[in-house]
Amino acid sequence: MIAAHRLTKTYGPRTAVDGIGFTVEPGRVTGFLGPNGAGKSTTMRMVLGLDRPTSGSVTVNGRRYADHPAPLREVGALLEARALHPGRSARDHLRWLAASNGIPRTRVDEVLDLVGLTAVADQRVGRFSLGMGQRLGIAAALIGDPPVVVLDEPVNGLDPEGIRWVRTLARDLAAEGRTVFVSSHLMSEMALTADHLVVIGRGRVLADCSTAEFVAQHAASHVRVRSPQHDQVATLLRREGLDVAAHGGELRVRGLEAAAVGELVGRSGLLLHELTLVRSSLEDAFMTLTGDSVEYAATPAGASR
Amino acid sequence: MTATVGTHAWTRTETPAAPGAGATLRAEWVKFWTVRSTPWSLAAMLGLGAGLTTLVCALSAEALARGDVGEPVGAFVTWGVVFAQVTAVVLGALVVTSEYGTGMIRATLAATPRRGAVLAAKAAVLASTLFAAGTLTALAGYLGGNWFLDREGIGLALTDDGVLRSILGSGLYMAGLGLFAAGVGLLVRHTAAALAVVLGLVFVVGNLVMVLPGAWGEWATKLMPGNAGSRIATPESFNPLLLDPWVGFAVFVAEVAVVLALAAVVFARRDA
Repeated sequence: MIAAHRLTKTYGPRTAVDGIGFTVEPGRVTGFLGPNGAGKSTTMRMVLGLDRPTSGSVTVNGRRYADHPAPLREVGALLEARALHPGRSARDHLRWLAASNGIPRTRVDEVLDLVGLTAVADQRVGRFSLGMGQRLGIAAALIGDPPVVVLDEPVNGLDPEGIRWVRTLARDLAAEGRTVFVSSHLMSEMALTADHLVVIGRGRVLADCSTAEFVAQHAASHVRVRSPQHDQVATLLRREGLDVAAHGGELRVRGLEAAAVGELVGRSGLLLHELTLVRSSLEDAFMTLTGDSVEYAATPAGASR
Repeated sequence: MTATVGTHAWTRTETPAAPGAGATLRAEWVKFWTVRSTPWSLAAMLGLGAGLTTLVCALSAEALARGDVGEPVGAFVTWGVVFAQVTAVVLGALVVTSEYGTGMIRATLAATPRRGAVLAAKAAVLASTLFAAGTLTALAGYLGGNWFLDREGIGLALTDDGVLRSILGSGLYMAGLGLFAAGVGLLVRHTAAALAVVLGLVFVVGNLVMVLPGAWGEWATKLMPGNAGSRIATPESFNPLLLDPWVGFAVFVAEVAVVLALAAVVFARRDA
């Protein structure tokens, strides 16, 4: 479990992280979502004890990161893609990591195998593609078989197959009971990967809820209806107490599912040409939420606990 | 993906045991020897140090024997160390600055959050390697150069005054210089800047201060790190102004210690 409490980081006059609080529970994937510059990476660096909070605190399994005697066995982290020396081989990179925390050397081959880099293990990582570098970073994160896994933008630079691989891996790790904390600036990716979301913008928590809740709350939907008997249909639906708006030749109906709308119209013998559920995209919802963070910070959307 | 990440007996203890004091040292040792700059720097040290000593002895043995050089023979048997010290500076700086240049420092500090332990391990690996390499370089240079001096009947025995001291002293000086560069590297976090500062101090400023007038110039010359520290690496010096070998080395060690202490304080406080 990761617990942040009134965590704040300022750089001179600029506040990167502004008193945020959240907990990341084990057994599920928690997405850490926000636009670039929202404070995600700064927060993650504070989780790992790399940056010192200006105030507040963050603990991993009840202790500050730096207080764990063998931190790689407690928390595995993928930081920015290339925390690697380009002249060192993948195997050697993992070897020194293992040595630093008293992890058996046999584990190096295991994680190489796990991420599919065995064949290129002795190549210098400077020659690796972005995707291979990410895989090596994930191997490094898993070397201590840690109960807590922190992945900062893990799908950056990955091809679709690689993205699916990371998604599956994150879900598998959570299914094994681990705490999985994944940051991303891609709402659509998080919607597929995360069970729970912590959304931040300009250093503040904007939402902290399950992904399903977030989708239900923020992805507005309506039913699009087209009919040759446009006006009669509109009158009928309004009589049923529904919110009906006419847009050119179509009607936008809110407050009832598509099937129910169809049945209503059908029972009255009117004709339908189209009946479609329209969801505004999650990406739009995310943009709306984070686009003007200040406004939302003033009226917390179920946030800032 | 079906491979399991694995739940290992060695991880699932209540609180993982501390990996032991040697773990950080082993990690830094692996890091040190798995980049190409290390063997290259050490090969360059041996080539420059031993090679140039041998060459200069071969070229000047006859003139030295005739006595028309006006310099002591003892100043020649470790002559190449002057050039070899560049490699110690490069290696010392790179041990630190390559981690900042690549972002590796974050992986290092995530693996070992105790920054003092990281610095101590780096220093131990660097200093022990440079001591061994510096000593070996000086010994090889002495053996090569002295062969030519012996032919002219002016060779020095290992037991002669200051010879053995200068060979081991070359190792000590290289180790100290490497630590100095590593300390500066930690302060400036940039390879080119670290090299410019250290090489500038040792090669440029160290020589320029000699032209300062009077006692100022004399003491500045004596106390500059490259001047104070290097006297131990040669049986006799071309420069009569320098402090005695061990006195000079003590000054040098103090200077290195100050730089390292400063670097340690900054390192401990700074965000990675």
